[in-house]
Amino acid sequence: MRAWPLLLLALALSIVIAACAGHDWATPSDLFRAIAGATDLRSRLLVEWRIPRVLAAALVGALLGLGGTVFQGVFRNPLAEPYLLGSAGGAALGATVALLVPLAAPQSFVLPVLAFAGAWGATMLVIGISRVSGAVDAAGMLLAGVAVAAILGALRSFLMLALSDETVSLQIVLSWVLGGVQTPSWPILGLLAVISLACLMLTMVLASRLDVLGLGETMATAFGLSVNRFIAFAVLAGSVVVAAAVAFGGLVAFVGLASPHIARWLVGPLHRPLLPASALVGAIVVTSADAIARAALPPAEIPLGLVTAVAGGPFFILLLARRLRT
Amino acid sequence: MLRALLGAILAFGVALQPVAAAPVTVRDAFDRSVTVPAPPQRIVAIFASNVEMLAALGLADRIVGIESFTRYPPEVLGKPLVGGRLGFSVDEVVAQRPDFVVVTPSRQAANQLVDPMERLGIPIVVLLQRNVEEILSNIRLLARLCGVAERGEELVAKLQARLDRVEQRVAGLKPPSVVMITGRLGNGLLLVTRSGTYTGDAIVRAGGRLAFDGGIIAQVSPEAIFNSDPDMLLFAGTEKDMKELIGRPGWSDMRAVKTRRVHATSRVELLIPGPRTIDGIEHLAAIFHPATPSQ
Repeated sequence: MRAWPLLLLALALSIVIAACAGHDWATPSDLFRAIAGATDLRSRLLVEWRIPRVLAAALVGALLGLGGTVFQGVFRNPLAEPYLLGSAGGAALGATVALLVPLAAPQSFVLPVLAFAGAWGATMLVIGISRVSGAVDAAGMLLAGVAVAAILGALRSFLMLALSDETVSLQIVLSWVLGGVQTPSWPILGLLAVISLACLMLTMVLASRLDVLGLGETMATAFGLSVNRFIAFAVLAGSVVVAAAVAFGGLVAFVGLASPHIARWLVGPLHRPLLPASALVGAIVVTSADAIARAALPPAEIPLGLVTAVAGGPFFILLLARRLRT
Repeated sequence: MLRALLGAILAFGVALQPVAAAPVTVRDAFDRSVTVPAPPQRIVAIFASNVEMLAALGLADRIVGIESFTRYPPEVLGKPLVGGRLGFSVDEVVAQRPDFVVVTPSRQAANQLVDPMERLGIPIVVLLQRNVEEILSNIRLLARLCGVAERGEELVAKLQARLDRVEQRVAGLKPPSVVMITGRLGNGLLLVTRSGTYTGDAIVRAGGRLAFDGGIIAQVSPEAIFNSDPDMLLFAGTEKDMKELIGRPGWSDMRAVKTRRVHATSRVELLIPGPRTIDGIEHLAAIFHPATPSQ
């Protein structure tokens, strides 16, 4: 259990470094002055812009870590990931519809609802396809996920080409698709924190049953678990988590894949410690990636999704290679 | 009523004291109300169009930040860069300690900068240019905000007079149907000027007519251009690139190519919505209606 202080320390450190990072690096004492209420422009930049963004990045990362853990547990597939299973793509399509299609309801309500519907629908579709085709193994599921993600991506691109006002809405959608944490105001950040905590609790409820499911469907049934009903519920919960992450952070690749693996090395495979550990790892990864995105190529800012994809892609290839060898 | 009265009083006050540091409030293209407490002295101007408008108002020396695709006028070229192709940096904008930021919603500029500047209390104005009229009103708006309203009116009056001369010159002449190619995509598709844009408006004001409307998507296939059979084909770019394009299979059969009514036109005049767009309109009018003597 020595992993916990290590994780918490790493998270605190990554948050401080990320809050300092930028084209114009701040020192920890600058941060302290800003938080203490200094009113110069630079301090206000730190308090109103950079710190909320860093904290939002940490929470989005935590949600991705949770979502990835739930999906890997439900599908008993170490390669399962929201981004690859189509659920993130579904959430992005839902969000694109909310952003571009004129709907009667207010966007702040429609966007999370459609993002959730997209995430859930896409995941159910992937499960359905792999079940029907009898390919419920890792490869079959991933292939179905790739196909569904491609279709969803194409639909989203079409909506972007056809419906967006090039100058305004297209750019909002684009920044989503490329992944990037939006800087929330402090009250919205509070809301995100509450949502993240609720998601942690929701997934913790699943923890022991995810462990049982990990023994295999036959074994789980023997232990009295209603497998199909539980999978349906867990997918629903996972979709809620992914939708929350996508709503605040856009499409951020591979964090959901990598975090549970790193967390497993640290705390083992049982879900009760794995879920919070994975959330912490996700938070550390996204906070660091976001800092790189902001500071690497001044004066521009690289979309966060590109940073995580470039760093996470090789990780995925490594896992795939190891799995194919065994 | 009261607001109108107040507005009138305010306008009167501004007219009386053009140099006095009274707060000025405008509505920008996003219908945001933006107030500058005093004429800005440190301006971050994102995009060539906004830089060119400020420079035309004689305010180039107040610009403290530009983006990396701004190439004109020469006196702004050494200024600090706050963004480029990959987007714009809030950090870098703030580092210039601006008291005013002007952007156009392109390449994420408005999406990335409006929210943080609002939170930091730095006035930021978003300008759109959907037609030539809006270019002129943008010049007026910038002039008012920067405390040089009169200079703005003079500049706009001059530009308007030139537009009027073009209008008189082409009045009653039969407008040629025109396709203007503004870009080529790697997949062979072409970007064409559509109606509802300032470039489309410029073509109409110069006495032309868009041969077809690109529809909802700006990218079209060469086939669609052949089918539209325009009287005249314009290529926004160099003569060399234009010749390379029309040298490709199919293009030589076009009526406009056969009748040698293909012209390369200036990109900076017609694809940067600033004062130079008026130059572009004059040049287009001379291309469309060469029989009339050029001004």
